[in-house]
Amino acid sequence: VSARRAKRLALYPPMMLVALFALFPVYWVLITALKSRAEIFSATPVLWPSHPNWHIFSYVLGSAGIGQALVNSLIVASATMVLCLAFGSMAAYALTRLHVPGRRVLLMLVLFVQMFPVTVLIIPLFILERQAHLLGTYAGLVLAYLAFTTPLAIWVMRSFLQGIPEELEHAARLDGATRFGAFVRVTLPLAAPGLATTAVLCFIEGWKEFMLALTFMTQQNRMTLPVVIQAFIGREDVDWASVMAASLIYTLPVVLLFMVLRRHLMTARIAGAVKG
Amino acid sequence: VSTATPTADTGGRRAFAFRPPSWPAVQRAVNRLTLPVLMLLPAAVVIVGLVGWPIVRTLWLSFTNTQLLDLVGSGTGPWVGLHNYSHVFSDPYLRASLTNTVLFGSACVIGTMVFGMAVALLLNQRLAGARFWSLSVLLPWAVPGVAASAIWLWLFDPSYGFVNWFLSHIGLHHFRNYGWFISKPSAYIAIFITVVWQSFPFIALSLLAGLQTVPDELLQAAKVDGATAIQRFRLVTLPLLRPVIAVLVVFSTIWDFRIFDQIWVMGYSVPVNAADTAAVSAYRESFSFGFYGLGAAVAVVLFLVLFALSLVYVRVIAREGEL
Repeated sequence: VSARRAKRLALYPPMMLVALFALFPVYWVLITALKSRAEIFSATPVLWPSHPNWHIFSYVLGSAGIGQALVNSLIVASATMVLCLAFGSMAAYALTRLHVPGRRVLLMLVLFVQMFPVTVLIIPLFILERQAHLLGTYAGLVLAYLAFTTPLAIWVMRSFLQGIPEELEHAARLDGATRFGAFVRVTLPLAAPGLATTAVLCFIEGWKEFMLALTFMTQQNRMTLPVVIQAFIGREDVDWASVMAASLIYTLPVVLLFMVLRRHLMTARIAGAVKG
Repeated sequence: VSTATPTADTGGRRAFAFRPPSWPAVQRAVNRLTLPVLMLLPAAVVIVGLVGWPIVRTLWLSFTNTQLLDLVGSGTGPWVGLHNYSHVFSDPYLRASLTNTVLFGSACVIGTMVFGMAVALLLNQRLAGARFWSLSVLLPWAVPGVAASAIWLWLFDPSYGFVNWFLSHIGLHHFRNYGWFISKPSAYIAIFITVVWQSFPFIALSLLAGLQTVPDELLQAAKVDGATAIQRFRLVTLPLLRPVIAVLVVFSTIWDFRIFDQIWVMGYSVPVNAADTAAVSAYRESFSFGFYGLGAAVAVVLFLVLFALSLVYVRVIAREGEL
């Protein structure tokens, strides 16, 4: 028995190493943000800043263009979320409950589309939006984001709808509801957790996306957070405290949403969501 | 609802003659299809217009010499046939970016899978504080690509980065002021660690979910029969996990082959863009150099590789009955 105990105890060090690997970079970001310039550029890293500079966050939000970028990111990700939720949940409902010819083929198509790299879409989308004068506008970026969030929303939403008994809808229809009425009044409320999950996933996708934002949003006042952070790094003398503070501001919402979603994250895995 | 047909049929020939569908039947069919069509329409417009059409257009562009000036006019340059494709496979930079994609991408897949499996097995031991362990493993997954790249770029900073300080502190003096991003192999090590850091949580937690479905009785029975821990893993757990692993491998491959953010942010200082993968070189050809046709050709090549992988993926999913 004691041999088994020793064996079990031997598992703790590797587990701790894994946790250290996962958490240390995040810790390092936080303390770098809070350090003074001298502490950042010191040959022996300081493990905790002597005078944590909490003002870095207000400084970064105020003067470094991050504040505007935060607003831009919020606008783009929220608009993407609303639209893809509306389009996705309707399509998912039709593909789950209604008689649609070639349903299986359509579903496979949705899955396929999710796998395509943005690289194949970006050039035509760029040319198209250039001609339509949509480059550099919120609408243009949101439109491009719908290309990969809508399939995701369909797939995630469908997996939730499958778990809701169809009989409930039949009952509503017997009571005189129309098909669409039954969808809106019976199924959608029951699918609330699914809707929330889908919404959050779409928001995160819009929040994290970099390549399209880099290409479309070239004006300083329209850049989203990843574009601004990337521009910070490209400079000669990198202000690491600001970059780290901005990265924290950029990451925090996703972490919070992930914690909220923890139970449902795996549902989204088939659609290839929330990775990258 | 009437099924009687008011059309002028003569009884005997009914089965053979073409009979236009009766009005109520048409109406019913229309009614039955109206709602699905209306509900599918917005999503269909998005998918056809923003995914389907661009793919066809990229394919078209890849056979043309479209440059920046062409975008002002029609948006398409002169037709050049397969010229771009022969260029993709003969140009050293582009050819290297393709091999980089396959080699670096595969390394990332293997690294993530092996490490993810190890972490999943550890998490499955239900050590004390299980909630804390799984939450800490979850964290890197939430970090967006650009932020993760910024973080690791700083950790790998030559003069003030933690990694170099740590390595030289434990006696590897070679790493004092070591420039990770001035040569391709060392830049790839840093980017590899970043990619694994970001993607192992997903793999580990998916595998953990799979591990928890392995029946305890089977493992106990194998133990009674004298199987060692390694044998139990190899002969009981692995075969049962095979479908999950298959999905994860294909999925990771698709993801790691199209990697962009990390290379763009971390690999920018590697001389002659030697660390570029296909996604990055396609982007650079188009948006940095203005050769949209050539960039499209690189994108199409990458797309074909990923398309083949997606086919495998969809087949695995279909077999698992998720569809």
